[in-house]
Amino acid sequence: MSASDVGMLALRVLAPVLVILIVLPMLQWVERRGAGLIQDRPGPNRVGPFGLLQPLADVVKFFMKEDLIPSHADRFLYVLAPGLATFAALTTFAVIPYGATLNIRGNPVPLVGADVSIGILYLFAVTSLSVYGIVLAGWSSNNKFSLIGGIRSSAQIISYELAMTTAAAGVILAAGSFRLTDVVAMQSGSWLSLPYRGWTVVPQLLGFVVFFVSAFAETNRLPFDLPEAEAELVAGYHTEYSAMKFAMFYMAEYINVVVASALMVTLYFGGWSFPGFHPTSLGGVVLSVLIFAVKTAFFVWIFMWVRWTLPRFRYDQLMRLGWKALLPLALLNLFWVAGLVLWNAL
Amino acid sequence: MTPRLVFDVAAGLAILFACVMVVHRHPVKSVLALVVSFFALAVTYVLLAAPLIAAVQVIVYAGAILVLFLFVLMLLNVPEEVRQTPDRPIHQALSAGAIVAFAAALLASLRAYGATRAAPSAELPPGDLAPVARLLFSDHFLSFEALSILLLAALVGSFVLARREESP
Repeated sequence: MSASDVGMLALRVLAPVLVILIVLPMLQWVERRGAGLIQDRPGPNRVGPFGLLQPLADVVKFFMKEDLIPSHADRFLYVLAPGLATFAALTTFAVIPYGATLNIRGNPVPLVGADVSIGILYLFAVTSLSVYGIVLAGWSSNNKFSLIGGIRSSAQIISYELAMTTAAAGVILAAGSFRLTDVVAMQSGSWLSLPYRGWTVVPQLLGFVVFFVSAFAETNRLPFDLPEAEAELVAGYHTEYSAMKFAMFYMAEYINVVVASALMVTLYFGGWSFPGFHPTSLGGVVLSVLIFAVKTAFFVWIFMWVRWTLPRFRYDQLMRLGWKALLPLALLNLFWVAGLVLWNAL
Repeated sequence: MTPRLVFDVAAGLAILFACVMVVHRHPVKSVLALVVSFFALAVTYVLLAAPLIAAVQVIVYAGAILVLFLFVLMLLNVPEEVRQTPDRPIHQALSAGAIVAFAAALLASLRAYGATRAAPSAELPPGDLAPVARLLFSDHFLSFEALSILLLAALVGSFVLARREESP
């Protein structure tokens, strides 16, 4: 492997991560301005034009705040937890294809961090580890609110992971592969042919709805943000955290929202592909990356839209929805897709 | 970093954290040590050209079963174990001897095994599910189904135990 290969690989892996980290503060601005828009109030509008420099001011504030570690906390785990949460969130992006295959001097360079054969399984493995950050934060803080937040989070993520994975199994079945580039390739064909080669969302609408709802629970976003329900648990698992450690939980939440959106786009909305668009030139590849970014941004906006629109679920309602509604629906979807595959419709 | 070096480091970490899991007196930290151990084990699976097993290992063990362990430990708030003063020297000496003997036997059998078997050949295309699925649903079909029924029985059993008090 030559130096340029290594450089190319580093670029492929790091580019999406860097873009996410740069966009993160902007997401916070979008969320707060969006909240203002929905609730008919201005939102942050004092720092810079339209309050655009507010995220910068917030970042400075996070750095300047005192970093407290409570004396009754378990020091090692307390420090480890926010790092784990951010790490798990950042590593998920490694297998999501974010653009068409680039051609550099005859060498095809697929725009994906690592095009591994177990892409979807890798994603579920890493997201299932993300619960540790939250659970350990809740436990190591040695505070009743934090502990309840951590316990709620672990129960919630385990319950919804089941429905989410079963829904995604439909896509795997249709694609016949765990490789996410195959999943995108499957969706970039004709919408009218038989077997169907358009976006998965059309034949698997039910699976998408289950996946969509579960994604909200997996990212701890409203209406499923019970681990940090401020009305009853102060701030849940991150009650005791301050300064950059708090900011890291905040970052992890937004990264998870971006990853969940990117995943929905990849699994159900064709990834970087668009009907009738087959990129060959450099411009086409750039356009494919843009298409992916716009689709992902749309779902990120839906996450924010829902947060300021729906009230929070009660905990028993959350569990009932996960086990008695979403899981059977996901199984139904799986049977439906299996039937379609059997009759060569997919 | 050669794959061999990564393998050795991962295998060493797996053994080290397995020991930490046994020795540590705090149950929550024992579970965490086990998570690290399982993760290191998954890395060795990847290097043995079995990424599918690695992913399943992380999803099932590290991601689901140990989270449940942690959940229960946190719910019950199990305290740290108190160190007991050793007052039975003969028992301790005997168990130490047994541990050493077992380790020696294990090492000897592993060495003998390593001498007869070659390194794992990559006959299955890495990560391809189809051969694994075909094996599961043809050669091992009966044991596979028996296992699912066993799990179902455990599930029903736990329901019966949990619901016993409500029905007279």
